Amino acid sequence: MTNSIEEIAGSEVIFVIGSNTTEAHPQIARRIIRAVDKGATLIVADPRDTAMAEIADIHLKLNPGTDIPLLNAMMRVILREGLIDDAFIEMRTENFNALRDTLFAQDFDALVELTGISPELIKRAARLYASAQKATICYCLGITQHVCGTANVESIANLAMITGHVEQDYTGVNPLRGQNNVQGACDMGALPGVFPGYQAVSDEKVREKFARAWKTDLPEAPGLTVMDMTHQGVRNGIKAMFIMGENPVLSDPDSSAVEKNLSSLDFLAVADIFLTETAQLADVVFPAASFAEKTGTITNSERRVQLMQRAIEPLGECRADTEIIAALSNLMGYPMNYQEPAEIMEEIALLTPIYGGIYHDRLERSWGIQWPCPNREHPGTPYLHKYSFARGRGRFVPASHIPPKELPDGDYPFMLITGRTYHHYHTGGMTRASEILSREEKEAFVEINPQDAERIRVRNGQLVRLRSRRGEITVRARATKRVPEGILYTTFHFAESPVNRLTNPARDPVAKCPEYKVCAVAVEPADG
Amino acid sequence: MLKKKIIKKDHLKPFLRKLSKGSDLIAPVRNGLGDVLYEKIHSIDHQEIDLSTQPQESAKAFLFPQSEALYTYDCSQGYRFSQEKDGRPTVLFGLRSCDISAILYMDVIFMRGPKDLHYVRRREKTIIIGIGCNKPWENCFCNATKSGPFLEFGFDLQLTDLGDRYFVESGRARGDSLIDNWPQFFLPVTEEDERLRYQLVLEARSGFTRQVHVDSAFNRIKDVGVDASIWEHLATRCDGCGGCAYICPTCTCFTIFDRPTSRDKGQRIRTWDSCTHLGFTEMAGGANPVNPQRDRLKRRFLHKLYYDYLEFKRPSCVGCGRCLGICFGGVDIGLFVELVCSNSKKGREEDSANILAKLLVEAGLVDQEEIEEALAQRAKTGTPLGKILVEKGLVTKGQLAEVLMEKVEKS
Repeated sequence: MTNSIEEIAGSEVIFVIGSNTTEAHPQIARRIIRAVDKGATLIVADPRDTAMAEIADIHLKLNPGTDIPLLNAMMRVILREGLIDDAFIEMRTENFNALRDTLFAQDFDALVELTGISPELIKRAARLYASAQKATICYCLGITQHVCGTANVESIANLAMITGHVEQDYTGVNPLRGQNNVQGACDMGALPGVFPGYQAVSDEKVREKFARAWKTDLPEAPGLTVMDMTHQGVRNGIKAMFIMGENPVLSDPDSSAVEKNLSSLDFLAVADIFLTETAQLADVVFPAASFAEKTGTITNSERRVQLMQRAIEPLGECRADTEIIAALSNLMGYPMNYQEPAEIMEEIALLTPIYGGIYHDRLERSWGIQWPCPNREHPGTPYLHKYSFARGRGRFVPASHIPPKELPDGDYPFMLITGRTYHHYHTGGMTRASEILSREEKEAFVEINPQDAERIRVRNGQLVRLRSRRGEITVRARATKRVPEGILYTTFHFAESPVNRLTNPARDPVAKCPEYKVCAVAVEPADG
Repeated sequence: MLKKKIIKKDHLKPFLRKLSKGSDLIAPVRNGLGDVLYEKIHSIDHQEIDLSTQPQESAKAFLFPQSEALYTYDCSQGYRFSQEKDGRPTVLFGLRSCDISAILYMDVIFMRGPKDLHYVRRREKTIIIGIGCNKPWENCFCNATKSGPFLEFGFDLQLTDLGDRYFVESGRARGDSLIDNWPQFFLPVTEEDERLRYQLVLEARSGFTRQVHVDSAFNRIKDVGVDASIWEHLATRCDGCGGCAYICPTCTCFTIFDRPTSRDKGQRIRTWDSCTHLGFTEMAGGANPVNPQRDRLKRRFLHKLYYDYLEFKRPSCVGCGRCLGICFGGVDIGLFVELVCSNSKKGREEDSANILAKLLVEAGLVDQEEIEEALAQRAKTGTPLGKILVEKGLVTKGQLAEVLMEKVEKS
């Protein structure tokens, strides 16, 4: 997030796009609701009637995968009506002319038609967003999990920059991270091309710095992305894998391919707190400690690094992930002798400029520090890009419509969106072990519009078979007007109905994020 | 006559140390992050007992744990069950009046009719030492629910902070015996102490900053029900997370399930449940009589503020204010009462304006068209109907008074 979570409650206009905030990010949703109750305007772009859409002033019910046309249409309105922030564009950005040319080259009516939204609604939303003093955008996986995910995000950045809604409090572009520490994992270099703190592997100076600290040679080329390993690892020359806290057999698209690939490795080790579907394929399983059994930091959506203290002694033979890594490393001939997590944090601070002033002793008895925090005296940074963007000037990257890789056709007439539900977390490893949570949502379901259900002769609650070009699963139908006709919605929490057997492994060319949000399926009664 | 004594603040810790011998001592403790929670005292010298703040959670869990094993089962050789029968002697110290009132409500739920053995075995061995609240906190409204800030009964001992000393009153014979067991800590009460305490109690009652009109809400619900728009407003904001029920000191619903530890051994577990959960009333076949969320909220709020009021002549909300500010959607009992009452105020004003309008038309003083215009103006500006009519010169003040007098005489 460019800005802080608490700031959302003080925004005048909140534009939520591609986020079922109430169910997936309740802590963000509560700030949005607080803002709405104070009188803020809420604009929600989502194909479904989410709870957020219900309290929205404007619901832009777009066709799945038409985010770029929607954002471009809004920007055209803003340009045409002179609602742009000229001073901001002039002083802080570059490449504006390219954006303007691209926008004016596109036909407004054609853009609107692609989205399926009324032009009046788009105009209203654009005017409200552009003319507010403090307007913020929250987006989530509905934006990124598309073949055009990167272009979607760039279009959101374009919208924020032409209206100058960055660099101040209560504004900004705020991607909502899905896990308590996914931001921290990225910050620590769990990405193929960067060391901790987004320092490029390709940069010789950076490599030298890390090589000196770690007393080892480091590769010059970026590593493989997740799907290059989980889907094509064997083909890419991988012989062994060590998977920690991840369950790709359920969570990756086209999961049958994952299972096949992992099974053909020479060796697979998995560390997790429960014996997940992936762990069941492993040669060796390490029991990992849960969050309550270990000390360390997590970094949340708003870049806030927080210290979590061990609350209970580790049960049984489980150990913290860091201990497992260190023990393995020691056995493999590279000594790692950290006394305690604070020592690892000191190494992070030493090598990672954005974490330069973050130490355990500073985090104790506090609500954490938001990076960038370059030194011990620095209080942290509530919002980014004040006075200048990280790269200098903000660059406009114009985009045109990129349709989803797989659209409905005669054989597979429905569009399937996948997402999450309130009571479960990811592949259910933890939440399905809780009796109350699993009682709330017992089994996989697919939301289907009542008109569609009637047409294919399916009753509410009946089992249906979902088929795509990659596989099939059986789930219970839930007839609801929350989804428009022609669109189905389901979640990936349930191993009995592994929805990722259906999803399309087509990926965004830059971020390599798969298109979980759109694939074409057929649906029919399971007993017919 | 139950005892009244004084204990100096310096002597409180020595008294607690005596009490903690042979009993679990539970008290409000301030932790490293500044939060005050009721906690078991392991070391009276190393835990900071804090009587200056309302603890964040009630003491519910010490009598009705969030999760407990009702019994363990073993089916390896026949069927064998084992169940915990004895409760440990426990002293709940420093409880706020709301939390004690909540325990009295739990007593009714778990001990009236068939007794809940798991609750009873703990409750019977629990001594309650409360402390009145000299100054209510921001979200408190126990005055409206008649469960504080000081209590008349329900405690073994109740303390009142008099500055350098506590006024101690006993609420039952067991309280007296606590004083008798350790007479060395207690001093006689002077007239000055009595007067000071009396003043503090009065001041405390006038110190509430939040007005939650629980009684008016009850009357409004009884007379006209709750407007459907209120339920809709709340339902769109409720996630059904159950947080309000978990934090509520009087929410006593639970569910039971078996948790196997091996093929033929395991535990039967009871955990807190919440009526805002979908699965709370879902049947095996998937049918749910209390659906959607709107209906679940309806049941929750009406139970606390209406059904229990009818049955016990008081709400089962104790006004502790803990659900205020904890809900992600802002759906709390304070908001509900406010919505019901503001709806009621608006409704009553509308009713009286309509009655006046009807009387004036019947008396032939104003014609229908004129009155409708004036009513519309009232709705728009909020100016009273009578004032509008007088200003327009349609009626005089004298005529208004006459019409109203006639109405009073008739009724």
